[in-house]
Amino acid sequence: MSQIPAETAGDKPTSRPQRRIGVYICHCGGNISDYVDVDAVREALKDEPDVVVSESPVFACSDGTQHDMIDAIKDQNLDGLVVASCSPKLHQVTFRNVAKRADMNQYAYTQVNVREQDSWAHPHDHEGATQKAIGLVRAGVAKTRLSDPLEALVVQTEPRTLVIGGGIAGLRAAIGLANVGIEVVLVEREAELGGWVGTFGPTFPNNVSGAEEVAGLVAEIKSRRDITVYTRAELTGKSGSFGNYDVQVTAHRSDSDKVFEVRVGSIIVATGFDSYTPDEGEFGYGIDGVITLPDFKKLVDSSTGALSYNGRKVRSIAYIYCVGSRQGAGGNEYCSKFCCTATSHASLQVDKLDPSIRQFHLYRDIRAYGRNELLYNESRDGGSTYMKFADDDAPSVAKLPSGGLAVSVTDLLTDRRPLTLPVDLVVLVTGMVPRESKSLVDILKLPVGSDGFFNEIHPKLRPVETVVDGVMIAGCCQSPRTVGESVAAGLAAVAQSAALLKKGFAELDPLVARIDPEKCTGSGECLTACPYECITSIEWDGRKVAMVDPATCKGCGGCVPVCGQDAIDLLGYTDAQMRSAIEELITDAEPVKEPVA
Amino acid sequence: MTTLVNLNLITDLQKFGAAEINACMSCGNCTAICPLADNDATFPRRFIRLAQVGLTDDLVGSKELWTCYQCGLCTDRCPQEADPAEFMATARRYAIAHYDKSGIARIMYTKPVLGGAIALVAGLFFALFFAAVSGEQSKTSLKLFDFISYPVIHTVGIVLMAVVALFSLIGVVLLARDIARHDGVTWKSLFGSGAAWKRTGKALWYALGIESLGQKRYRQDCADDEPVVPLYRRRWLIHALTIWGFLGLLLATAIDYGMDMFGLKPTGTWVPLWYPVRLLGTIAGLSLMYGVTWFLITRWQKRADSEQHSLPTDWLFLGMLWVTGLTGFLIEVALYVGPAPMWGYWVFLIHVAVAMELVLFLPFSKFAHAMYRPVSLFFYGLARDKALQSV
Ligand SMILES: Cc1cc2nc3c(=O)[nH]c(=O)nc-3n(C[C@H](O)[C@H](O)[C@H](O)COP(=O)(O)OP(=O)(O)OC[C@H]3O[C@@H](n4cnc5c(N)ncnc54)[C@H](O)[C@@H]3O)c2cc1C
Ligand code: SF4
Ligand code: SF4
Ligand code: SF4
Ligand code: SF4
Repeated sequence: MSQIPAETAGDKPTSRPQRRIGVYICHCGGNISDYVDVDAVREALKDEPDVVVSESPVFACSDGTQHDMIDAIKDQNLDGLVVASCSPKLHQVTFRNVAKRADMNQYAYTQVNVREQDSWAHPHDHEGATQKAIGLVRAGVAKTRLSDPLEALVVQTEPRTLVIGGGIAGLRAAIGLANVGIEVVLVEREAELGGWVGTFGPTFPNNVSGAEEVAGLVAEIKSRRDITVYTRAELTGKSGSFGNYDVQVTAHRSDSDKVFEVRVGSIIVATGFDSYTPDEGEFGYGIDGVITLPDFKKLVDSSTGALSYNGRKVRSIAYIYCVGSRQGAGGNEYCSKFCCTATSHASLQVDKLDPSIRQFHLYRDIRAYGRNELLYNESRDGGSTYMKFADDDAPSVAKLPSGGLAVSVTDLLTDRRPLTLPVDLVVLVTGMVPRESKSLVDILKLPVGSDGFFNEIHPKLRPVETVVDGVMIAGCCQSPRTVGESVAAGLAAVAQSAALLKKGFAELDPLVARIDPEKCTGSGECLTACPYECITSIEWDGRKVAMVDPATCKGCGGCVPVCGQDAIDLLGYTDAQMRSAIEELITDAEPVKEPVA
Repeated sequence: MTTLVNLNLITDLQKFGAAEINACMSCGNCTAICPLADNDATFPRRFIRLAQVGLTDDLVGSKELWTCYQCGLCTDRCPQEADPAEFMATARRYAIAHYDKSGIARIMYTKPVLGGAIALVAGLFFALFFAAVSGEQSKTSLKLFDFISYPVIHTVGIVLMAVVALFSLIGVVLLARDIARHDGVTWKSLFGSGAAWKRTGKALWYALGIESLGQKRYRQDCADDEPVVPLYRRRWLIHALTIWGFLGLLLATAIDYGMDMFGLKPTGTWVPLWYPVRLLGTIAGLSLMYGVTWFLITRWQKRADSEQHSLPTDWLFLGMLWVTGLTGFLIEVALYVGPAPMWGYWVFLIHVAVAMELVLFLPFSKFAHAMYRPVSLFFYGLARDKALQSV
């Protein structure tokens, strides 16, 4: 189906099919009607060509008005709807649904914003605001008049998901996907599955061994035929569109690399985090006996009986918190969230090994939130001493001539006294930093936040989806978090994948760009204009023309002005529609005569 | 100037009690409720912190430790159930052991079996010693000093006193030095001017008169929130009666000795009941017995917070006081019942032996608080006297 040729649009009303349009101007309680003379607008629109119904309800979005609209559409046989009310962000979907329920094409609905863009903007000029409203609504009517009955694009989806990263979040997500009947391809960069957790002994909050938890998941995955695992492998390419991504996985083998191609419907990225590596000299890092939290965790997990480091017995430990986190402007400003609790928990492990070991925790704030508070309490009860230092007065570490370490700290809880702790081991409580994943970001076009972690669309309402359709993020690649939170995000990504893939098809907005091959001269100017790379060059009728993939097109309109031939049109916002709307807006009550082609 | 912390302080201190103190999170509720925490005396919270962190000198050398009478209000209010009142008591035990350079106090507190054995051996030693040197037991009348000769008792007493005085003096001087250093009290600030003398005198009066004898803050402040306990067993009264009784007996003994020295009345001779020195002794003895008996009962019943954690040495100290008092009265009875009862001699032997042991253990037991508290209160009195602080 092609759009109405521009030359005919807006010609004499008789030269094209008569439209039957309903117009509603909303009071919005008073938000609009206090400044705009709503009745005057309604009256002005009454005689507009093609307008059959003109009303001014108090609340257009109310249930009652919605029903009135549905009745009017049916009774009056309307084929276009214009609601002048608030921002389309608020109610476009609402009124599209009204159209749908009344069996009218939902893309023949136009929302005109006379609140944010009119009444709220001009509270001191009622007359002007009213005139502006009339113009805006007329423009809306003009746009609706030329609307086409568009239908949603339907794409078949592949019931298979690519999971990148075999840490605890990725592993659990893989099983979750398989459980809902979605096949899984799991790609892990390292030789072993499990990520960080796979290397841990007892973990908070339930003290269960991380390695054992991972082993359970890996055993489960091995027993599932619908999960294919590639270790020492990476994503090396992606093409296609949402629902049908063709991904390329390269597995690094000793002799050569093996490349696999798979088609997947969605992608879950669960590539986790790196641990912060302190700079040489940062809190004494580099001095023998000054170690990071992961190293310490390894030491404690592997100790039985006494605790010793480098062959020396450890009788006392100082932990310095927030190393590499909460650094202030320019550094890692975020809190790594897991480390307060992980340290309290590790100190309890030490307590179990040898309760006589003296432990000092030098902290800024203790963020053992929720139930983790109990672990913090337990560690204090066990004899750990917590000392608070000021943000601008960090502790320092030095080597003593005797071989031990001296940690100097000003403890806010002990009269701000400068104290020196002679200890055997200093643990730098290092936080999480984003992993290096440039190639992954390039291939998937992943949105990266200013902190280096991947970004979701909405932190509360769409916490695992990214702006790339069908690509989800889960676990610590998104932000620092605990195992429980990482796994919960993994399962949320499973639910989102299921929502996308379980129907077998997906409906996409038809408001996409389309290139008229008749007009296209194949200059290729638009090919590089599209930020989403959805325009390709194809053979058509023996010549090269550009074509838009409607499944990947976002309808951003970026390509439209680039074309020298005006061959590109954005469905729902065609040149003809927009011209006609603009004419209506600027001409004084004159009907549009001749929108130029 | 940074201070090197003592890594072992808290673990060492916990050998003396305060099992729950690690739960303390420095919230300060205890300080808010403590009736004795003046504006600048942030106990008990600060002292718990000193112990947790490992600042030994600040902890044991602080006068505030000794101003607490262990009313237990802080323990009632502590949200962490860290039992701060018990901590303060423990810190005092620790301080006693710290200032006792013989190491005996530490053993008495931390090694109950060995401590008990030492106490038993010492008691037996005195008993056997006096039994060995004992003379004849007159059957006609109770001639106690024929049984154990007065000069022997006297000499043993003097020797003991000298030993005890030595250890006590070392402890008291060290404590005084530590507090003085900490508080910046110098000889000059004590005696450098007329005003200084006056302030020193006032502090002395505060420590010995108002507080030690008068028990003013114990009486007035610490009863604040106590559920009303009948006067006859209020803690401050029991405590005061014990002190007064003890001091009364000490005074009576001294007067008796003096009268003997000046040939007015030989010790151990019969006098009527109303005879002033005798009357003083009897009343003081009754007072002591009353106080100590209540202490034993309430400790046994664990009535108050302060009575929840009794250590063997606490029982030893109270027990010895009680036995000394009881045997003293039994001797009185024996002296006055007419025909001399033979058991009187043995009761006398026990009395003398236990009294000697009591004296011996002064610096090594709870008894030591009788010397450390007044010293601390003296410095507390100085500090309280803000107006004259600048001299
Ligand atoms: C010392 C320490 C102790 C901790 N203790 C606890 C605790 O007791 N309890 C708790 O709840 N949390 C704890 N945590 C936090 C916990 O480790 C994380 O929450 C958890 O590891 C997050 O899992 P993840 O799967 O998101 O990431 P990861 O564990 O980092 O796993 C990511 C996986 O992805 C792989 N990968 C990375 N990039 C790619 C790529 N491009 N292609 C393919 N694969 C890739 C990695 O090799 C890895 O296997 C601790 C953290 C540390 C550092
Ligand atoms: S969790 Fe604790 S140690 Fe970690 S960054 Fe946050 S405040 Fe610092
Ligand atoms: S409208 Fe936007 S997304 Fe669609 S083809 Fe044009 S530039 Fe690409
Ligand atoms: S002892 Fe209890 S009340 Fe006092 S500071 Fe500690 S936690 Fe708070
Ligand atoms: S026991 Fe009483 S006097 Fe002692 S610190 Fe607690 S509240 Fe204060």
